[in-house]
Amino acid sequence: MNRPFGKCQMRVNGAETPFAAAPGRRLSEVLREDLGLTGTKVGCDAGDCGACTVLLDGAAVCACLTPSVRADGAEVVTVEGLGALVPRLQRSFLRHGAAQCGICTPGMLVAAAGLLRGTPAPDRAEVEEALGGVLCRCTGYAKIVDAVCDSAFEADPGEASPGPAAGAAVGARLERLDGGPKVTGAEMYGADHLPEGALEVRAIRSPHHAARFALGDVAAWAAAAPAPVHVFTAADIPGENLFGTIPVFVDQPALAEAHVRQRGEAVAIVVGETAALDALDFAAFPVTWQPEEAVTDLSAPLPDLHAGRPGNELIRGVVRCGDAIMALAGAAHVAEVTVDTAYVEHAYIEPEAGTAWIDGDTLVIRACTQAPVMDRDETAKVLGLPAERVRVIPAATGGGFGAKLDLSLQPLIGLAALKTGRPCRMVYSRAESMASTTKRHPARMTGRIGCDTAGRVTGMTFDGDFNTGAYASWGPTVAVRVPVHASGPYRMEHYHAVARAMHTNGPAAGAFRGFGVPQAALVQETLFDDLARAAGIDRLEFRLRNALVDGDRTVCGQRPGGIGIRDCLVALSVAWNRALAEAAAFNEAQGVVRRGVGVASCWYGCGNTGLPNPSTVRVGITAAGRLVLHQGAMDIGQGANTVVAQLCADALGLPVGQVSLVDGDTAKTPDCGKTSASRQTYVTGKAAMLAGRALRGTILAMSNMGEDAALSLEGDVLRVHDGRGSRDIRLADLPVDAHGYVLAAEETYDPPTVGLDADGQGEPYAVYGYGAQMAEVEVDTALGTVKVRRMTAAHDLGRVVNPLLAEGQVEGGIAQGLGMALMEEYVPGRTENLHDYLIPTFGDMPEIRSIFVEKPDPEGPMGVKGLGEHVLIPTAPAILNAIRHATGARITRLPALPHRVLAAIRAAR
Amino acid sequence: MKPVAFDYQRPASVEDAVALLQAHGRSAKLLSGGQSLGPMLNMRLVRPEVVIDLNDLLELDYVREAADVIEIGALTRHHRLATAPEILRALPLLAYAAATIGHFAIRQRGTIGGSLVHADPAAQLPLVAVTLAAEIVLRSAAGTRSIPAADFLQNVMTVDLNEDEMVVAIRFPKPSAAKAGWGMRLFSRRRGDFAIVSAAVWLRRNPDGRLADMRLGLGGVAPVPFRLHDLEDPDDEGAPGESWASDLAGQAAQRVEPEDAPGLPAVYRRELACNLLRGALTDALSLAGERHG
Repeated sequence: MNRPFGKCQMRVNGAETPFAAAPGRRLSEVLREDLGLTGTKVGCDAGDCGACTVLLDGAAVCACLTPSVRADGAEVVTVEGLGALVPRLQRSFLRHGAAQCGICTPGMLVAAAGLLRGTPAPDRAEVEEALGGVLCRCTGYAKIVDAVCDSAFEADPGEASPGPAAGAAVGARLERLDGGPKVTGAEMYGADHLPEGALEVRAIRSPHHAARFALGDVAAWAAAAPAPVHVFTAADIPGENLFGTIPVFVDQPALAEAHVRQRGEAVAIVVGETAALDALDFAAFPVTWQPEEAVTDLSAPLPDLHAGRPGNELIRGVVRCGDAIMALAGAAHVAEVTVDTAYVEHAYIEPEAGTAWIDGDTLVIRACTQAPVMDRDETAKVLGLPAERVRVIPAATGGGFGAKLDLSLQPLIGLAALKTGRPCRMVYSRAESMASTTKRHPARMTGRIGCDTAGRVTGMTFDGDFNTGAYASWGPTVAVRVPVHASGPYRMEHYHAVARAMHTNGPAAGAFRGFGVPQAALVQETLFDDLARAAGIDRLEFRLRNALVDGDRTVCGQRPGGIGIRDCLVALSVAWNRALAEAAAFNEAQGVVRRGVGVASCWYGCGNTGLPNPSTVRVGITAAGRLVLHQGAMDIGQGANTVVAQLCADALGLPVGQVSLVDGDTAKTPDCGKTSASRQTYVTGKAAMLAGRALRGTILAMSNMGEDAALSLEGDVLRVHDGRGSRDIRLADLPVDAHGYVLAAEETYDPPTVGLDADGQGEPYAVYGYGAQMAEVEVDTALGTVKVRRMTAAHDLGRVVNPLLAEGQVEGGIAQGLGMALMEEYVPGRTENLHDYLIPTFGDMPEIRSIFVEKPDPEGPMGVKGLGEHVLIPTAPAILNAIRHATGARITRLPALPHRVLAAIRAAR
Repeated sequence: MKPVAFDYQRPASVEDAVALLQAHGRSAKLLSGGQSLGPMLNMRLVRPEVVIDLNDLLELDYVREAADVIEIGALTRHHRLATAPEILRALPLLAYAAATIGHFAIRQRGTIGGSLVHADPAAQLPLVAVTLAAEIVLRSAAGTRSIPAADFLQNVMTVDLNEDEMVVAIRFPKPSAAKAGWGMRLFSRRRGDFAIVSAAVWLRRNPDGRLADMRLGLGGVAPVPFRLHDLEDPDDEGAPGESWASDLAGQAAQRVEPEDAPGLPAVYRRELACNLLRGALTDALSLAGERHG
């Protein structure tokens, strides 16, 4: 047994702290579970992610690899103790936008603090060396390096700069409003909340890609446990044991019944005190597996996985206009390519975690999420409860990127809490997070594009199979979105695109930043390079000739307003010519290392494809003069809390610094839909703008003042004034409404769209965003390695609400695009950790320059367009085009691993 | 995940540690830096009954320089290997190798003894120990024995270590510094990751530019790192010429028989070996001084 030791004591953040060490108990556990210092995060328990970095006697170490007994007599510093040590560092992180979701921030800060103690003004290389063991999936690292390098020059804490004035929030380089707790370690993620008396929940999962299974004497196994535990299986689920994301495709059991279709699928949960579960041998759980023939990729057919989906085709999306076949037949130049992409893992640093408890007759779920209301409705259905008896409180979410749109542990912890009556907590291990949650779809896509001698595109065909894995998840969304976007932001009169979502025994593929569009862009953008070469036209010029402009029809027959792709391409032209000249000069040396330049574009429709997706925003002022914004758009790091508040504040006419936020708790805040499809700044932002405007209208009407009047909120007095006079509204004198406000407005906004017909014609999105990126790479032609030296990214946001946060999106999106291009390949059963599955780290990232174009959208609030997903769509094709330019190598299988690049270089010679 | 339940021992001396080993034998695991054993415990890939934590044995954290040998205690951390003046001066190849291991936090804890016993086929320190002909010093309750690194490393994660023995020191013969040069090239897909293939070279030239002595090591192309003994004899044809590094690396590549691995075909691994060795040879030769012939 893990006998406790005698007295142990460490000095934690300056305070002598006795603690109970036990064999096998890690320092990370003691800090988090025993001492309540939950600022130290756990992302892998293997030393791969660095989220648990603490200073042990001054040296940065991974607390997950440090036996707690080693801290006996030692000095330990955690993020909670940094305020005294390096106060400027935390401020610098906020001011530079170095924290997005915040889950890696404590590890980054602690590693930086270790460096700064000896090196107060480090250079970039020193920062990268010291922080290199800490992974971040949001920021692309540049702002973290900036923040550490500049921390010595930060103003003294307490000298907070005054925020933007009323009406000046939109466009301001405002640090995130919710950033404070992210840099102090106070932010509460799903695993950080442990209610009194909580039980732990662990899942028994399939080790097979496909199997029949039979549970043995589960009750006897539980009864034989050294301490009491409960086991729950599908038979215990009170409601309908199926969840999903789109009503007609709901197909995933919360706990499998007799049959598993993918590895990592849960078949039972075990619930008990932590110590009881730790003592159990889960390998002895009574289940017998009969593995079945499984296929996890598109290479071979397999028996139908789901009834009603013959040939394992889940759905097919089509967009057709003109006659693409005829157009290609008559084209002066035609290029064709087939591209294969890999499963890509979201690899947020926070594995899924949350707690559930019973409050009166309501089941409360507090977990990481991108979609609280959807979580509530799906969980209620599985657990046989009316939706109003489930309340979802979103925990701070340590990255999502699409995968936390789906349910994961919510029905499991809900079931455990319902059955035991006790609070229950579940924290996924890295391996179970990777095995059981969704991925980016691997795709096999073939495209043909033709152009005339002047380089004008005449037609395109696209045919793609997208491996949607064992369950539907967001596969239908991908299949529908891809044909709409596979043309890129270009004129194509003759176009025929088909995308199929195909089931296999691979992990369910779902939403991942771009919903299939990043894969599809690889086809069109690499073919454009072929055609430009064939037509003898500069590659950027070729794109400019074909770029959509206002008045053009998209392949869906829509005529969007405010099309900014030309502006983005033009914005790259100076850098493009400079880069081409530099690469040519470098390559004159005829060395082993060659340089190349590539460009690619993107467009992306914001919100659901031709389907309703409303957001409702409430803003109110209390009798005491508190301005409260119910902001239900989940902020998973991208910054919705800040930009939605900026839009609302400016519409209302009060300083954004006065806004207090209420999060997406389903008991408090109206539904703002999912944080997906780059919709929140646009859709929720528009609802917030309308709500702010409506509240302003009410105030002006009450005070009988004109539209140009200014508002100021001073204590419990709301002053309305213009050049002619001033009126005071005494808030305490007004009646209080059901939500506790004396003045309030609630507005709903739903994007006006027209659903697609059988040929994919319609108006699928009300707002699009555009962008173009240029990659400068260096290829080692002997080793096949690719180093991206610089990315220049021009994006049309319509109106930049917050340049600091927008840059963060660009840099983080490029990091994920670079990973997809060069290193990321999830193999079910083989890469379920962060050392076999590689995501970019400090040393992999290029210098990134963001250029923002503002071509206002007629529909978006104050002209706003979405950005979050756009930013990674052009990255991989721009890199592939740059590799081609450098070496002639045509990469058709992602990721472009060195041996593939080398083979392609040789094939090109 | 959490480790299985185990008993934990924290000996205060090497004598106590080997006594514990004698008592518990195969059911015990020695814990030094914990950067490899930690994850394996956390994932329950190892399920020891007893963990013997060596971290109190400060007597094993040392770098000792004698006339013809540098002896390094088994508990010496990578960070110290990378920065100790004696090592930087006499064994720069070892210092460089240690500096390339993992990340900052890993180097603060990981130890040379742990790395050698873990015997990952791609790890840096076993390659350097083999290339520089280090001796591994082992202790048990019965006494001390020492064994060449090349014999100690037997197979993938398998070493010649009896269940009652522990590594206490590593002895590196001190090579002559006059006209000596070294090179080490590593290939990993991402900085800080285990190298996929690595090459290490140490050589010494005569005053006339001809090679006097040479050692070539390759890692990541076989179950254990190994030396290319039959290519180490300096030829009699004078000082190395233009194509010397390429020719030698090419011959070396013919001698390796790597296996296909997912995402890494054997043919590419062999090419890496050739490329990295050529680079390491070139680096070593250039450090050893200008060509004379």
